[in-house]
Amino acid sequence: MKKLIVLSLVLLVTFVFFTGCRKKVEEVPPPPPQVKEQPKVEKVETPPQVKEPELTEEEIFERKTLEELNAEQPLQMVHFDFDKYDIREDAKPVLAANAAWLKKWTSVKILIEGHCDERGTEEYNLALGEKRAKAVFDYLVSLGISSDRMRIISYGKSQPLDPGHNEEAWAKNRRAQFTVIAK
Amino acid sequence: MKIIKFSPLFLLFIFCVSLIPLFTQQEVVLSIREGMPAIPVACPSFHQEDNHPLVKEAAQTLRDILLADLRYSRVFIPLPESYYQYVPPLNPQNIQFKNWESIQAKLLFVGSVSQGEKENSVVLEGKIYDVKSQRFILGRKYNIDPSLLRLAAHKMADELMKLYGEPPLFTSKIVFVSNRDGNDEIYLMDYDGQNQVRLTYNRVRDYMPAWAPDRKKIAYTSFKEGQAILYILDLEQGKLTTVQNEGTNFAPAFSPDGKKLAFCSTLEEGNSEIYVAQSNGTKIRRLTFNKAIDTAPTWSPTSREIAFTSDRSGTPQIYIMDAEGTNIRHVSFGGNYHDAPAWAPTGERLAYVSRVNLIFDLYILNLRTNQIIKLTESNARNESPAWSPDGRHLVFSSNRKGTIQIFSIDYDGTNLRQLTFQGENKLPDWSK
Repeated sequence: MKKLIVLSLVLLVTFVFFTGCRKKVEEVPPPPPQVKEQPKVEKVETPPQVKEPELTEEEIFERKTLEELNAEQPLQMVHFDFDKYDIREDAKPVLAANAAWLKKWTSVKILIEGHCDERGTEEYNLALGEKRAKAVFDYLVSLGISSDRMRIISYGKSQPLDPGHNEEAWAKNRRAQFTVIAK
Repeated sequence: MKIIKFSPLFLLFIFCVSLIPLFTQQEVVLSIREGMPAIPVACPSFHQEDNHPLVKEAAQTLRDILLADLRYSRVFIPLPESYYQYVPPLNPQNIQFKNWESIQAKLLFVGSVSQGEKENSVVLEGKIYDVKSQRFILGRKYNIDPSLLRLAAHKMADELMKLYGEPPLFTSKIVFVSNRDGNDEIYLMDYDGQNQVRLTYNRVRDYMPAWAPDRKKIAYTSFKEGQAILYILDLEQGKLTTVQNEGTNFAPAFSPDGKKLAFCSTLEEGNSEIYVAQSNGTKIRRLTFNKAIDTAPTWSPTSREIAFTSDRSGTPQIYIMDAEGTNIRHVSFGGNYHDAPAWAPTGERLAYVSRVNLIFDLYILNLRTNQIIKLTESNARNESPAWSPDGRHLVFSSNRKGTIQIFSIDYDGTNLRQLTFQGENKLPDWSK
């Protein structure tokens, strides 16, 4: 009985092995030419077309480090009213432009930072900053940006943009700003 | 004077009246402490057992610190220095208690300092006597390394506190956030602002520290790569435990019984809700379910209730709920911006920040009588109150002098002291 089982197992294994091999053998030939052809086509096409600016927009983007990219501030910050976290009318076109940029560079992931001015308490401001970041998050989702490309955080009033203590500084500091965290 | 039930108005009345020589000396004292008179302590110069300059210096320093502690306590009040001229110098071998009673001392502290066995060390021997009954109550002996004179004096003062059923106050520590070394990091200091030391060394911001009641652990938020992670730092083992790393996590508060840790998290929907975990950071459970902001939890001394801030009514207001998240009631009134509640360890008082015309002042709400006292009065932002272990003092941050610094103040608005001077300092929490 045991021998029979062992034998049938051996047969089964060899069968599987052979059929597997046969399939592989059948499938292997087509791909290589495809793989070889594609780069050739690109290589042939690109150099003669543009010699001086050599790199495409994509390639330039590709070569930038996250730091370099963030230094360019591709996404504009938006501001909020005092004690409020709803998206202002003047912020909507800014967010639309940001959404367009995010749609162009689909691999990009961003962090949305919510900030407050100093005229709120530490504890409440941290929660309010988060609400501001979330409002921007939701607005970008409504413009078609996938939620898994965005994360939010609040810094409360701990990172003011303008250290001043006047209306102008406060208005600047009540903001949501963006950092590219992956591309 | 048994009628004293704490009422701020009444206190004010006593303060005014006490200036008029209508009351005797002791009744003036009586107004300083709630319901009970502060205990006058005689503390004559410490006896020096040998003539070594080190002993002389230590004797002076130890006495100064001890007296400063007693003066701060409001439980005790050291006799004015001028009184000592009316009694003959103390002979520790033959104490004439009648003399000390005649200058209104209730307790007599007899200190003596000698050279220790180790080089440069000194020995402090402190004996406490009850003057009226002429009885020895308590004695303590400390072998002191010269760098630890302050600690020894604080320990001695805490022995006196314990004698009267008070929690140790002078060996307590204040944890706070300072940017003196570049970015926001966590620091520790003594109750009087001495011995300021750095605790965390990160490149990112560390924020909102809170003491565990055993004085051995601190919970705090650290901002890393776009995350605000809540940690528990074990000070003895140097071990760091992550409590919650998704969402923005902040405002930790250990329950006074040491079993739970309440904190805020924006884990769900980017809205700050209050959560509670076991004190080791496990078994996280959500307590508030509300579209509004819920933040800044603080425990009642019984660990059965939590006060917190919520803007569910439109503006930030203070609420109390049962520790299970049920039975929510609105307790703040008068004004439309209240935050940072801190429940006194003695029970009936809730300190908080109120914003009026963009000025932040501290207030204390008496939960039993619903009376409110305004604690600070400055054209500035006074924030983040935290109570001392005995509930007679608070620390808070204020920008009244330009930069944000930490101050302490007594529960009735007296005895304001600035504790920090370097960089900007904020978010203090006082170990219980």
